[in-house]
Amino acid sequence: MENISEKLAPIRKGLLEFVILKIVAGDKVYVADMLKLLGPTEFATQEGTLYPLLSKLRREELVDYEWQESDAGPPRKYYKLTPKGRTQLSTLNDYWKDLNRTLADFGN
Amino acid sequence: MQKVVNISLNGIAYQLEEPGYNQLHSYLERAEARLKDSPDRAEVMADLEQAIGEKCRAVLGPHKTVVSTGEVERIIQEMGPVEAADPQAANTTADPGGAAPAAALPPPRKRLFQIREGAMWMGVCNGIAAYINVDVTWVRIAFILLTIFSSGLWFVLYLVLMFVVPVATTPEDRAAAFGMPFSTEELISRAKKTLNSSASSTAGGANGAASSGSGTGSFAT
Repeated sequence: MENISEKLAPIRKGLLEFVILKIVAGDKVYVADMLKLLGPTEFATQEGTLYPLLSKLRREELVDYEWQESDAGPPRKYYKLTPKGRTQLSTLNDYWKDLNRTLADFGN
Repeated sequence: MQKVVNISLNGIAYQLEEPGYNQLHSYLERAEARLKDSPDRAEVMADLEQAIGEKCRAVLGPHKTVVSTGEVERIIQEMGPVEAADPQAANTTADPGGAAPAAALPPPRKRLFQIREGAMWMGVCNGIAAYINVDVTWVRIAFILLTIFSSGLWFVLYLVLMFVVPVATTPEDRAAAFGMPFSTEELISRAKKTLNSSASSTAGGANGAASSGSGTGSFAT
């Protein structure tokens, strides 16, 4: 089982970006909340992975953030999807559906 | 009793127990090395510092002002190894484990030095012992016996070595004398140097020529 999970690691890694776009498509999200959301799923990850990924997505103008005051310390970055990110997300959604259909067509 | 180190993470001060500070310091240095080629380096480093700061605050309270080493370890565990998100940046950092960059590096080159710490006289035997990795006493015995058997001629060799072999003055020299890094900081600075020297190996060659030149210079005096 562990071996299978290891084999699938690159797939999960590749999909993480897609999952992040899906998460920030809703309300503005703070990184700690993203990690909490991802924690119980197959996409459980850590700050060490997430921050570099978010910075890359921001550089590609797919996500953006705004500073929000917090009562427990300095202001926090809340991430949200940009219009460009929304387009990319719907492309990815379509592609994912196509992939699923292709996989289903092959049968088992 | 524990020594405490004051640090600032993204502009806010924290107090860490010293071993914890060392661990966090090397975690951040490792992260920075990983992100060396990323255009987002500064931003990600600030994000990481803020996240670490937040985790530190979570364990502090009105009657607890110092983050313990165990807590720092847990925080580093939670943060996880820093991975560059860009494929081209990820390519330059070969090791995916994150926990032990030392394993991926070639062992440091050993160099012969005179080691004055714990030396009988000039530290030549000490340096040789470190170089060939045997107890210094055996080297000394060998030198004394060889001096006796060669009716003093071997002693001249000691004098020659004394002038020719450089003295280990810096911590880096001493690490090179033993062929090992002895701190994480030194380890990281060595990793950086390995990167730099592979980029400009000709500069290293010129450096080596210069040091052997100074060696013969002092021999003449």
